[in-house]
Amino acid sequence: MFEALENSTAAIWVGESLWGYPLLLGLHVVGLAIVAGIFIMLDLRILGLNKGVAYESFLSLFPLAWIGLAINAMSGTALFSSQATTFISNTPFLFKIGSITVGIICAVLIRGRLRLSAASWDAPGAGASGATRLMAVVSLFSWIGAIAAGRLIAYL
Amino acid sequence: MDALVQAIEGGTINTWILSSYWLWPALEIIHFIGLSLLLGAMLIVDLRLAGFLRQIDIMAIHRLLPLATLGFLLNLVTGTLFFIGDPARYSVNIGFQLKMILVFIAGLNALWFILKINPRVASWDAHGDTPMEAKVVAALSLIAWFGVLLLGRLIPYIGTG
Repeated sequence: MFEALENSTAAIWVGESLWGYPLLLGLHVVGLAIVAGIFIMLDLRILGLNKGVAYESFLSLFPLAWIGLAINAMSGTALFSSQATTFISNTPFLFKIGSITVGIICAVLIRGRLRLSAASWDAPGAGASGATRLMAVVSLFSWIGAIAAGRLIAYL
Repeated sequence: MDALVQAIEGGTINTWILSSYWLWPALEIIHFIGLSLLLGAMLIVDLRLAGFLRQIDIMAIHRLLPLATLGFLLNLVTGTLFFIGDPARYSVNIGFQLKMILVFIAGLNALWFILKINPRVASWDAHGDTPMEAKVVAALSLIAWFGVLLLGRLIPYIGTG
Protein backbone atom coordinates (compact mmCIF):
# COMPACT_ATOMS: atom_id res chain seq x y z
CA MET A 1 0.00 0.00 0.00
CA PHE A 2 2.71 2.49 1.01
CA GLU A 3 4.77 1.41 -1.99
CA ALA A 4 1.83 2.19 -4.30
CA LEU A 5 1.45 5.61 -2.62
CA GLU A 6 5.14 6.31 -3.06
CA ASN A 7 4.90 5.47 -6.77
CA SER A 8 1.85 7.66 -7.41
CA THR A 9 2.24 10.62 -9.77
CA ALA A 10 1.74 13.15 -6.98
CA ALA A 11 4.31 11.49 -4.71
CA ILE A 12 6.88 11.37 -7.49
CA TRP A 13 6.29 15.07 -8.20
CA VAL A 14 6.94 15.88 -4.53
CA GLY A 15 10.15 13.89 -4.52
CA GLU A 16 11.56 14.89 -7.88
CA SER A 17 10.42 18.42 -8.73
CA LEU A 18 12.88 21.16 -7.88
CA TRP A 19 10.50 23.18 -5.66
CA GLY A 20 7.90 20.64 -4.52
CA TYR A 21 9.65 19.33 -1.42
CA PRO A 22 11.11 22.64 -0.10
CA LEU A 23 7.84 24.48 -0.70
CA LEU A 24 5.90 21.82 1.23
CA LEU A 25 8.47 22.01 4.06
CA GLY A 26 7.98 25.79 4.10
CA LEU A 27 4.21 25.40 4.35
CA HIS A 28 4.71 22.77 7.05
CA VAL A 29 6.67 25.14 9.32
CA VAL A 30 4.14 27.95 8.75
CA GLY A 31 1.32 25.57 9.76
CA LEU A 32 3.38 24.40 12.75
CA ALA A 33 3.87 27.94 14.01
CA ILE A 34 0.13 28.63 13.75
CA VAL A 35 -1.21 25.44 15.34
CA ALA A 36 1.52 24.76 17.94
CA GLY A 37 1.94 28.50 18.58
CA ILE A 38 -1.73 29.05 19.40
CA PHE A 39 -2.14 25.87 21.45
CA ILE A 40 1.08 26.45 23.44
CA MET A 41 -0.12 30.00 24.23
CA LEU A 42 -3.49 28.59 25.36
CA ASP A 43 -1.82 25.89 27.50
CA LEU A 44 0.44 28.46 29.14
CA ARG A 45 -2.58 30.74 29.73
CA ILE A 46 -4.39 27.89 31.51
CA LEU A 47 -1.25 27.17 33.56
CA GLY A 48 -1.09 30.76 34.81
CA LEU A 49 1.07 32.68 32.35
CA ASN A 50 -0.32 35.33 29.98
CA LYS A 51 -2.79 36.45 32.67
CA GLY A 52 -5.22 39.01 31.33
CA VAL A 53 -5.34 37.49 27.83
CA ALA A 54 -9.06 36.70 27.78
CA TYR A 55 -9.96 33.01 27.56
CA GLU A 56 -12.80 34.01 25.25
CA SER A 57 -10.29 35.26 22.69
CA PHE A 58 -8.93 31.71 22.35
CA LEU A 59 -12.35 30.54 21.16
CA SER A 60 -11.88 33.01 18.29
CA LEU A 61 -8.37 31.65 17.68
CA PHE A 62 -9.48 28.01 17.37
CA PRO A 63 -10.59 28.33 13.70
CA LEU A 64 -7.14 29.75 12.87
CA ALA A 65 -5.47 26.87 14.74
CA TRP A 66 -7.57 24.37 12.74
CA ILE A 67 -6.46 26.11 9.51
CA GLY A 68 -2.84 25.64 10.65
CA LEU A 69 -3.58 21.99 11.38
CA ALA A 70 -5.21 21.54 7.96
CA ILE A 71 -2.18 23.12 6.22
CA ASN A 72 0.04 20.64 8.02
CA ALA A 73 -2.20 17.63 7.45
CA MET A 74 -2.09 18.36 3.71
CA SER A 75 1.58 19.34 3.43
CA GLY A 76 2.48 16.47 5.80
CA THR A 77 0.56 13.91 3.74
CA ALA A 78 2.28 15.12 0.57
CA LEU A 79 5.72 14.98 2.23
CA PHE A 80 4.90 11.53 3.62
CA SER A 81 3.81 10.21 0.23
CA SER A 82 7.21 10.86 -1.34
CA GLN A 83 8.95 8.51 1.13
CA ALA A 84 6.00 6.54 2.48
CA THR A 85 7.79 3.20 2.92
CA THR A 86 10.66 4.86 4.84
CA PHE A 87 8.47 7.06 7.07
CA ILE A 88 6.03 4.33 8.04
CA SER A 89 8.78 2.37 9.81
CA ASN A 90 10.53 5.44 11.26
CA THR A 91 10.15 5.58 15.09
CA PRO A 92 10.25 9.41 15.47
CA PHE A 93 7.64 9.73 12.70
CA LEU A 94 5.28 7.30 14.44
CA PHE A 95 5.87 9.06 17.78
CA LYS A 96 5.13 12.39 16.09
CA ILE A 97 1.81 11.15 14.70
CA GLY A 98 0.90 9.75 18.16
CA SER A 99 1.82 13.05 19.84
CA ILE A 100 -0.24 15.08 17.36
CA THR A 101 -3.23 12.79 17.95
CA VAL A 102 -2.97 13.33 21.72
CA GLY A 103 -2.57 17.09 21.14
CA ILE A 104 -5.70 17.24 18.95
CA ILE A 105 -7.73 15.27 21.53
CA CYS A 106 -6.56 17.68 24.26
CA ALA A 107 -7.43 20.69 22.07
CA VAL A 108 -10.97 19.39 21.44
CA LEU A 109 -11.49 18.65 25.16
CA ILE A 110 -10.09 22.03 26.24
CA ARG A 111 -12.25 23.80 23.64
CA GLY A 112 -15.35 22.11 25.08
CA ARG A 113 -14.44 23.38 28.54
CA LEU A 114 -13.67 26.87 27.19
CA ARG A 115 -17.09 27.08 25.55
CA LEU A 116 -18.74 26.27 28.86
CA SER A 117 -16.53 28.23 31.23
CA ALA A 118 -14.40 30.84 29.43
CA ALA A 119 -16.47 33.73 30.79
CA SER A 120 -16.27 32.50 34.40
CA TRP A 121 -12.52 31.76 34.15
CA ASP A 122 -12.00 35.35 32.96
CA ALA A 123 -13.63 36.70 36.13
CA PRO A 124 -11.18 38.35 38.60
CA GLY A 125 -9.56 35.80 40.92
CA ALA A 126 -11.01 32.85 38.98
CA GLY A 127 -9.14 30.34 36.82
CA ALA A 128 -9.28 27.01 35.03
CA SER A 129 -10.05 23.84 37.02
CA GLY A 130 -7.46 21.22 38.02
CA ALA A 131 -8.63 18.81 35.30
CA THR A 132 -8.26 21.52 32.64
CA ARG A 133 -4.77 22.32 33.94
CA LEU A 134 -3.84 18.64 33.60
CA MET A 135 -5.09 18.67 30.00
CA ALA A 136 -3.00 21.78 29.34
CA VAL A 137 0.12 20.01 30.66
CA VAL A 138 -0.54 16.96 28.45
CA SER A 139 -1.25 19.25 25.49
CA LEU A 140 1.96 21.24 26.04
CA PHE A 141 4.06 18.05 26.16
CA SER A 142 2.32 16.61 23.09
CA TRP A 143 3.02 19.66 20.88
CA ILE A 144 6.61 19.98 22.07
CA GLY A 145 6.99 16.20 21.66
CA ALA A 146 5.62 16.38 18.12
CA ILE A 147 8.04 19.21 17.24
CA ALA A 148 11.01 17.33 18.72
CA ALA A 149 10.10 14.03 17.06
CA GLY A 150 9.54 15.80 13.74
CA ARG A 151 13.07 17.18 13.84
CA LEU A 152 14.51 13.77 14.76
CA ILE A 153 12.95 12.04 11.72
CA ALA A 154 15.94 13.19 9.69
CA TYR A 155 18.47 11.93 12.24
CA LEU A 156 17.24 8.51 13.42
CA MET B 1 33.06 37.30 5.09
CA ASP B 2 35.96 34.94 4.32
CA ALA B 3 37.93 36.36 7.22
CA LEU B 4 34.97 35.81 9.54
CA VAL B 5 34.57 32.22 8.36
CA GLN B 6 38.29 31.57 8.87
CA ALA B 7 38.20 33.10 12.34
CA ILE B 8 35.32 30.85 13.38
CA GLU B 9 36.33 27.55 11.79
CA GLY B 10 38.50 25.43 14.06
CA GLY B 11 37.66 27.63 17.06
CA THR B 12 36.51 26.27 20.42
CA ILE B 13 32.75 26.64 19.86
CA ASN B 14 32.93 25.49 16.24
CA THR B 15 34.80 22.34 17.30
CA TRP B 16 32.40 21.72 20.20
CA ILE B 17 29.31 21.96 17.97
CA LEU B 18 30.75 19.61 15.39
CA SER B 19 32.06 17.15 18.01
CA SER B 20 28.66 15.65 18.83
CA TYR B 21 26.20 14.07 16.40
CA TRP B 22 23.27 14.88 18.74
CA LEU B 23 24.04 18.52 19.52
CA TRP B 24 22.86 19.83 16.14
CA PRO B 25 19.40 18.15 16.23
CA ALA B 26 19.06 19.18 19.91
CA LEU B 27 19.70 22.81 18.91
CA GLU B 28 17.21 22.44 16.04
CA ILE B 29 14.53 21.22 18.46
CA ILE B 30 15.13 24.25 20.71
CA HIS B 31 15.07 26.51 17.62
CA PHE B 32 11.65 25.11 16.62
CA ILE B 33 10.25 25.44 20.16
CA GLY B 34 11.57 29.02 20.19
CA LEU B 35 9.85 29.84 16.89
CA SER B 36 6.58 28.40 18.22
CA LEU B 37 6.77 30.67 21.29
CA LEU B 38 7.73 33.73 19.22
CA LEU B 39 5.17 33.21 16.45
CA GLY B 40 2.42 32.05 18.83
CA ALA B 41 2.79 35.14 21.01
CA MET B 42 3.24 37.55 18.07
CA LEU B 43 0.22 36.11 16.26
CA ILE B 44 -2.06 37.01 19.18
CA VAL B 45 -0.36 40.39 19.84
CA ASP B 46 -0.47 41.40 16.17
CA LEU B 47 -4.06 40.26 15.63
CA ARG B 48 -5.13 42.40 18.61
CA LEU B 49 -3.02 45.34 17.38
CA ALA B 50 -4.71 44.96 13.99
CA GLY B 51 -8.09 45.36 15.67
CA PHE B 52 -9.15 41.69 15.92
CA LEU B 53 -9.68 39.62 19.12
CA ARG B 54 -11.30 42.56 20.92
CA GLN B 55 -12.18 40.30 23.86
CA ILE B 56 -8.54 40.89 24.84
CA ASP B 57 -7.93 44.07 26.85
CA ILE B 58 -5.38 45.93 24.69
CA MET B 59 -3.09 46.32 27.73
CA ALA B 60 -2.92 42.50 28.09
CA ILE B 61 -0.76 42.25 24.96
CA HIS B 62 2.11 43.24 27.25
CA ARG B 63 1.70 39.92 29.08
CA LEU B 64 2.55 38.06 25.87
CA LEU B 65 5.68 40.02 25.03
CA PRO B 66 7.94 38.21 27.57
CA LEU B 67 7.11 34.87 25.86
CA ALA B 68 7.83 36.36 22.45
CA THR B 69 11.14 37.72 23.81
CA LEU B 70 12.01 34.33 25.32
CA GLY B 71 11.31 32.64 21.98
CA PHE B 72 13.43 35.22 20.16
CA LEU B 73 16.35 34.84 22.61
CA LEU B 74 16.25 31.02 22.38
CA ASN B 75 16.47 31.37 18.61
CA LEU B 76 19.13 34.06 18.69
CA VAL B 77 21.36 31.76 20.80
CA THR B 78 20.66 28.54 18.87
CA GLY B 79 20.80 30.39 15.54
CA THR B 80 24.19 31.92 16.42
CA LEU B 81 25.44 28.43 17.31
CA PHE B 82 24.25 27.10 13.91
CA PHE B 83 26.20 29.88 12.22
CA ILE B 84 29.34 29.21 14.27
CA GLY B 85 28.95 25.48 13.59
CA ASP B 86 28.89 25.90 9.80
CA PRO B 87 29.91 29.48 8.88
CA ALA B 88 31.08 28.69 5.35
CA ARG B 89 27.62 27.38 4.42
CA TYR B 90 25.46 30.07 6.08
CA SER B 91 27.49 33.18 5.20
CA VAL B 92 27.11 32.70 1.43
CA ASN B 93 23.54 31.31 1.51
CA ILE B 94 21.01 33.67 -0.08
CA GLY B 95 18.14 32.20 1.96
CA PHE B 96 20.07 32.91 5.17
CA GLN B 97 21.02 36.45 4.07
CA LEU B 98 17.42 37.33 3.17
CA LYS B 99 16.24 35.79 6.46
CA MET B 100 18.64 38.02 8.44
CA ILE B 101 17.44 41.10 6.52
CA LEU B 102 13.85 40.22 7.41
CA VAL B 103 14.78 39.65 11.09
CA PHE B 104 16.37 43.12 11.01
CA ILE B 105 13.22 44.63 9.48
CA ALA B 106 11.08 42.85 12.12
CA GLY B 107 13.41 44.33 14.76
CA LEU B 108 13.05 47.88 13.39
CA ASN B 109 9.28 47.37 13.27
CA ALA B 110 9.31 46.24 16.92
CA LEU B 111 11.36 49.31 17.80
CA TRP B 112 8.80 51.53 16.06
CA PHE B 113 6.08 49.85 18.14
CA ILE B 114 7.98 50.27 21.41
CA LEU B 115 8.97 53.91 20.84
CA LYS B 116 6.06 55.36 18.87
CA ILE B 117 2.97 53.26 19.47
CA ASN B 118 3.26 51.54 22.83
CA PRO B 119 3.34 54.79 24.87
CA ARG B 120 -0.15 55.60 23.53
CA VAL B 121 -1.76 52.16 23.95
CA ALA B 122 -3.10 52.99 27.42
CA SER B 123 -5.21 55.81 25.95
CA TRP B 124 -7.02 53.52 23.46
CA ASP B 125 -10.41 51.93 24.07
CA ALA B 126 -9.42 48.72 25.94
CA HIS B 127 -11.73 46.52 23.88
CA GLY B 128 -12.09 48.68 20.79
CA ASP B 129 -10.58 49.20 17.35
CA THR B 130 -6.96 50.29 16.92
CA PRO B 131 -5.39 53.21 14.96
CA MET B 132 -4.22 52.66 11.38
CA GLU B 133 -0.57 53.02 12.46
CA ALA B 134 -0.98 50.04 14.81
CA LYS B 135 -2.56 47.96 12.05
CA VAL B 136 0.39 48.70 9.75
CA VAL B 137 2.91 47.67 12.43
CA ALA B 138 0.93 44.48 13.09
CA ALA B 139 0.73 43.55 9.41
CA LEU B 140 4.44 44.25 8.88
CA SER B 141 5.29 42.15 11.92
CA LEU B 142 3.29 39.13 10.75
CA ILE B 143 4.61 39.36 7.18
CA ALA B 144 8.21 39.70 8.41
CA TRP B 145 8.05 36.82 10.93
CA PHE B 146 6.27 34.39 8.64
CA GLY B 147 8.76 35.36 5.93
CA VAL B 148 11.60 34.60 8.35
CA LEU B 149 10.02 31.19 8.96
CA LEU B 150 9.72 30.36 5.26
CA LEU B 151 13.22 31.55 4.38
CA GLY B 152 14.70 29.68 7.35
CA ARG B 153 13.16 26.46 6.15
CA LEU B 154 14.43 27.06 2.62
CA ILE B 155 18.09 27.63 3.62
CA PRO B 156 19.10 24.04 2.79
CA TYR B 157 17.51 24.34 -0.67
CA ILE B 158 18.35 27.87 -1.77
CA GLY B 159 21.71 28.05 -3.46
CA THR B 160 24.79 30.05 -2.67
CA GLY B 161 25.41 33.51 -4.11
